[in-house]
Amino acid sequence: MLSREPRISVSATAPAGSGLAADAAPLLSVSDITKSFRHGLWPVGARVAVLQGASLDVRAGELVGLVGENGSGKSTLMQIIVGLSKRDSGRVELRGALGYCPQLPELWEKLTVAEHLRMFAAAYRLDDATAKRSTDRLLEELGFRRYLDYRIEALSGGTRQKLNLAIALLHEPKVLLLDEPYAGFDWDTYLRFWDMSAARRDAGMAILIVSHLLGERERLDRIYTLKDGRCVSS
Amino acid sequence: MRLELRATVRTAGVFVREPLRSPLNLVLLLVLPALFVTAAAAVLGPFAKALGGSASGHAATALGAGWAAAFLAGALGFFQTVSSRQADRRLALAGLGAARTAVARLVSAFALVLAVTVTSLLALWVHQGLVHPAHTALAILAFASIYLAIGIAVGALVRDALAGSLAVVFIFILDVFSGPGMTKPAHGLTAVLSPSRKAAELLLAAGAGLRSSTSDWIATAAAATVATALGVSVFWLAARRKG
Repeated sequence: MLSREPRISVSATAPAGSGLAADAAPLLSVSDITKSFRHGLWPVGARVAVLQGASLDVRAGELVGLVGENGSGKSTLMQIIVGLSKRDSGRVELRGALGYCPQLPELWEKLTVAEHLRMFAAAYRLDDATAKRSTDRLLEELGFRRYLDYRIEALSGGTRQKLNLAIALLHEPKVLLLDEPYAGFDWDTYLRFWDMSAARRDAGMAILIVSHLLGERERLDRIYTLKDGRCVSS
Repeated sequence: MRLELRATVRTAGVFVREPLRSPLNLVLLLVLPALFVTAAAAVLGPFAKALGGSASGHAATALGAGWAAAFLAGALGFFQTVSSRQADRRLALAGLGAARTAVARLVSAFALVLAVTVTSLLALWVHQGLVHPAHTALAILAFASIYLAIGIAVGALVRDALAGSLAVVFIFILDVFSGPGMTKPAHGLTAVLSPSRKAAELLLAAGAGLRSSTSDWIATAAAATVATALGVSVFWLAARRKG
């Protein structure tokens, strides 16, 4: 979803995953992120540390999983990378445009699917021809063309989620962050989602996906487990 | 630059259409001004007298139209902001930017202010006629602008819809009861608590068929401008990238 000015990334740990990833510098590098939240009213409340030095990196052509228990800070880390939440300390470095699919669809209830796609295409600064080509491809891939003129308030949860994902992919970003993007998908769409992700990974996209299903682990090149506020590579 | 401008214009156009797709908004736009104007005519005089104020007759009815515009603008501005906060931030971070998203929202909000002003003015015109139409319209526009900014600012800062709407209503009630015509002439804290004081003075004068002083016009324009700038700034701060 997001675009960001390219920055110089610092290479970190040894690469893993696909052959393309092995020789590539990280497109996303996250170092020593800390984040705490105040619990309860000031001044009696206490600060609860959620992230305590979380680090990870994702290279071009990698499909990397981020797993962890509920409340371990996966979504918080995603929001910090994207710029939706402020970090207490640490560094986030990105090279190239960023796409982000939030856990819950963030859409305007009274607007149609087509209006959403047009607005985000304009925000990504796609020209009309590119926007149409990209929109057509995603509508076909995710199979929701017939809902193009529907308002969001009239859509099912699964179709909202398809649009949520389509918005993140509309500009074919270099780095894609997906926060449990398949909630509400039927089985066919779920399988198609993994095919889409694998195809984009093979084309060189760096993908970080929050996942909690054991069955998905074989689809991922690498996995980070977020535990005690830190990312452990496995 | 051309693509950025196109994105802002396209977004503003869609944002303008958005609130008009809610049937409740349309009903409120039509019903609330008529209700305020009618009720104001019947009860405002005795009510103001009980509080030590002087509003009565046509002036009180005109004030009712201003309050209708203020209440509608504040409520619509708040609910529009709070219901679209996440999606607006997503769009801003997607590349539109917080400032351009704020501008698009401002254009949409101004369209809303115009609609609210027109319906309030029409209600007043139908009920008692207009001695100074331009004078009255500008005063109602100022009321609506100030409260739209209040609604947007509260919507950008308060996450909870119930808490935020109560905050807008609280500000509105405080303003109404400390405003001109409803209580004794303003002094000290009372004057500060009424953001629409100058707009109300313009409207009372228009309703009574009197002229307003240049200083009142300037003060009203300043209040509306500061409120709008504040609302847009708070919206921009909430929508910008963190970290």
